[in-house]
Amino acid sequence: MEMVQQAKKKKYKRTMLMIFLAIVAVFLISLNTGEIRISPMDTLKTFFGFGSEMDELVLFEFRLPRMVIALLVGASIAVSGAIWQGVSQNGLADPGILGVNAGAGFAVVLFIFAFQGTMSNLGDFTIFVLPLFAFVGAGFAAFLIYVLAWKKGITPVRLILTGIGVNAAFSAAIVVIQLKMSPNDFNQAIVWLSGSIWGSSWTYVLAVLPWMLIFLVLAVVRARYLNIMNLGDQLSYGLGISVHKERSFFMLIAVALAGASVAVAGSISFLGLAAPHLARKLVGPKHQGMIPASALIGALLLLLADTLGRVILAPSEVPVGLVVSALGAPYFIYLLMKTN
Amino acid sequence: MKSLETEKLCIGYNDRLIVDDLNISIPKGKVTTLIGPNGCGKSTILKTMSRIMKSNQGAVYLNGQAIHQTPTKEISKQMAILPQTPEAPSGLTVYELVSYGRFPHQNGFGRLSNEDKRIIRWALEETGMIAFHDRPIEALSGGQRQRVWIAMALAQETELLLLDEPTTYLDLAHQLEILQLLERLNREQGRTVLMVIHDLNHAARFSHYMIALNQGKVIKDGSPHEVMTKEVLGQVFHIDAEIVLDPRTNKPICLTYDLMNHERKLEAVNG
Amino acid sequence: MGSQSNKQLPAKDDAMDIVTKPFGTAAVVIIGIIALAFGLFLSVSLGAANIHLHTVWEAIFYFDPQQTSHQIIRELRLPRTIGAALVGAFLAVSGAIMQGMTRNALASPEIMGVTNGSAFAIAIAFAFFPGQSSFTLILWSFVGAALAASIVFGVGTLSKGGLTPVKLALAGTAVGALLSSISSAIAIRFDVAQDMSFWYAGGVAGVNWSNIKVIIPVAVAGLIIAMILARSITVLSLGDELAKGLGQYTKTVKVLGILVVILLTGAAVSVAGSIGFIGLVIPHVTRFLVGVDYRWIIPCSAILGAVLLIYADIAARLVNAPFETPVGAITAIIGVPFFLYLARRERSGI
Repeated sequence: MEMVQQAKKKKYKRTMLMIFLAIVAVFLISLNTGEIRISPMDTLKTFFGFGSEMDELVLFEFRLPRMVIALLVGASIAVSGAIWQGVSQNGLADPGILGVNAGAGFAVVLFIFAFQGTMSNLGDFTIFVLPLFAFVGAGFAAFLIYVLAWKKGITPVRLILTGIGVNAAFSAAIVVIQLKMSPNDFNQAIVWLSGSIWGSSWTYVLAVLPWMLIFLVLAVVRARYLNIMNLGDQLSYGLGISVHKERSFFMLIAVALAGASVAVAGSISFLGLAAPHLARKLVGPKHQGMIPASALIGALLLLLADTLGRVILAPSEVPVGLVVSALGAPYFIYLLMKTN
Repeated sequence: MKSLETEKLCIGYNDRLIVDDLNISIPKGKVTTLIGPNGCGKSTILKTMSRIMKSNQGAVYLNGQAIHQTPTKEISKQMAILPQTPEAPSGLTVYELVSYGRFPHQNGFGRLSNEDKRIIRWALEETGMIAFHDRPIEALSGGQRQRVWIAMALAQETELLLLDEPTTYLDLAHQLEILQLLERLNREQGRTVLMVIHDLNHAARFSHYMIALNQGKVIKDGSPHEVMTKEVLGQVFHIDAEIVLDPRTNKPICLTYDLMNHERKLEAVNG
Repeated sequence: MGSQSNKQLPAKDDAMDIVTKPFGTAAVVIIGIIALAFGLFLSVSLGAANIHLHTVWEAIFYFDPQQTSHQIIRELRLPRTIGAALVGAFLAVSGAIMQGMTRNALASPEIMGVTNGSAFAIAIAFAFFPGQSSFTLILWSFVGAALAASIVFGVGTLSKGGLTPVKLALAGTAVGALLSSISSAIAIRFDVAQDMSFWYAGGVAGVNWSNIKVIIPVAVAGLIIAMILARSITVLSLGDELAKGLGQYTKTVKVLGILVVILLTGAAVSVAGSIGFIGLVIPHVTRFLVGVDYRWIIPCSAILGAVLLIYADIAARLVNAPFETPVGAITAIIGVPFFLYLARRERSGI
């Protein structure tokens, strides 16, 4: 019996390695795609410092930070979704559907409109403050969902329905603000809200990196609590978990991750749903393994989607959120049909 | 020696009290069952005694300590619960689920120590599920699944086991399988078992002590011979029962019964 | 205790006569129509330039083409107001039918993704076939609505476990999001975003007589079919199996019902964009006042829906005058708390 467990561990390590290699592959491909074509040889040269100034600019100032953000955001959204699913005991939970993203989006759009008046030219300070506002917005949405769905406890059905309602509310609010913007800003807002990695600079990376890293690590460290919470409230009590405390704590992590993601990449739906499901299929439902796997898979998928978005309708870019929606929604529907 | 005790327990929703002034004690090292008609409050009482639900008034004592003052992790080392329709996430194997039972004893990262592994193995052996250790839970039969949940409760290493209708959705053979397992765990390891059971005859056959409830009140408690009588069943279930002794086990069984008509109901309730 | 009398299954008519609330119904009809008439006049007179009520009266009955105020009333305000009344009525009736057929308190045209479907079709029309007439755009809108509705219902019904309230809401959200994403992508790529912005906001501000001329026949057809179906929907709302047991052709009724929803919602969305929550909230209010007989629910929902949208539109004009607030925001302010209240109750019964 011990041998089976050992074999499982080996298989897990192998799977994770493969996903990681896939990420590296897509990373390299992505570096090469875009309006300005840089050959693989030149890419390598540039990395070692022997490239032309132009190549260096494109790679280091534009593409690289954008890809790093794609990886970070992908991982964060995936883990956020995994946590929501574990806590709500529902495989169909997704921060986008539940309105958490909409709440973050609302806060960000409000902030930009109120303090900046325009979507372009955000000062450096603003960039660092954005994730905070997004977090507040996402937190507010999560708080609303929690409070409104709570009637001597939260049932998964009530959670989802309440989430849909909160989503509708914030979406309507966003539209109201949007219409007060100038047409240019309105367009930018649409693009951003559709989920696009517009924060293509190292400043943005710096703004969210510590935030995301901290919460990702927290999620991994406490993953095993999710195992138990996934069994339901009664067994959670039975096994000695303070259910309310732990649930609030996990929702905090989920909200922080979703909020930070929305701040730099707009609202991306269905990734938080699909990545955990795929992770579960590959490595099983134990959260100690599933959460890191979700993070990697999320990173891979978002990087892929972003690359696709840049290529499909070239020279225009399809916002990455739309690509993910276009692929994710059918998958979601498929899952919806298969579950009870 | 009392494992679990309630004192003036009142449980209710808003303005409606389901249980009023309940005082019961669960004897240590014995098998106890709660019986009663639908809605009598037995599940509610079980949940409150295991601190899943909060009471409005009164207290529950576990091994002499008030449970609302004891940290929940401490309680989980003394009392394990198997709720009514437990659900395991799909894809989880038997071994993995049973390993969750070690949770109250784990710290930090939660890696399974050698001690943990030993206990998991032992729990699987006790419930006869070693051969299935790598199977996904949803691939098992109802009886096998229940055994896995019991194995998880065993891995918790608690003296007290609480089970809420552990046999309700199982067929005849599997029902007996589970009850005989519980009986063995009680007999060989001295574990205290408290369960809610619908089947009166099973309750009578496998318990040392029975508590018959109706509308949140104790109608009769005692040995199966004392509780399984025509009078008590009439009061509790409003049925006209025929009680005989089971030739195989010498325990009382309800052979057959009829619904009571209105006059006899009144008699039973008032007399 | 006496033995219970042998109860017969109530005949179809008996069942329905029992559940109507006569006082509520009368109140809705009488007060509703009065409120509607008053709202119509109010709506026509209020706005960026307030016009006296008696001028309005004159403009309608003693029209003088030389007076600008009469022109404003005739060409701008009146069609807008009538448009609001019609759209409100259509959405309310659509919602009532959906809730009755699916026995789901949360059913409504927008949650089912129908409005996103319309918008999707319109996006394609704008992007690939620009310069369409009002009439053809409405056709496009219908096609889009039909597409979305079929997908959502299909997904819900074909899934394991069948159609449950949550399934329907989630399927609607997913299909809606999918169609909305593709619409956005098209809007961005083909630079029709400004035109599309009308859809995102939703409003009756731009309704003119040609719009109304186009949707009226469609809508009349829809409402007539709805009234014919009303009795069947009442029976259907008791439950599929019960309805079949009472001898109803449930499939036919459902198909016709969906058709009506598509007609009415398609017309509403193509003229006024996406206006939420009317189809959700009004049927509940109507049921509360009128009972469970759809022969009354449908017309009363129409009246209440018209009233709601007219007054919401008035509010939308006044709240931030002289700027227009999207009427969808006003209906959301009423609708969202209501939706959340419903979600808390969690009962799927109607």
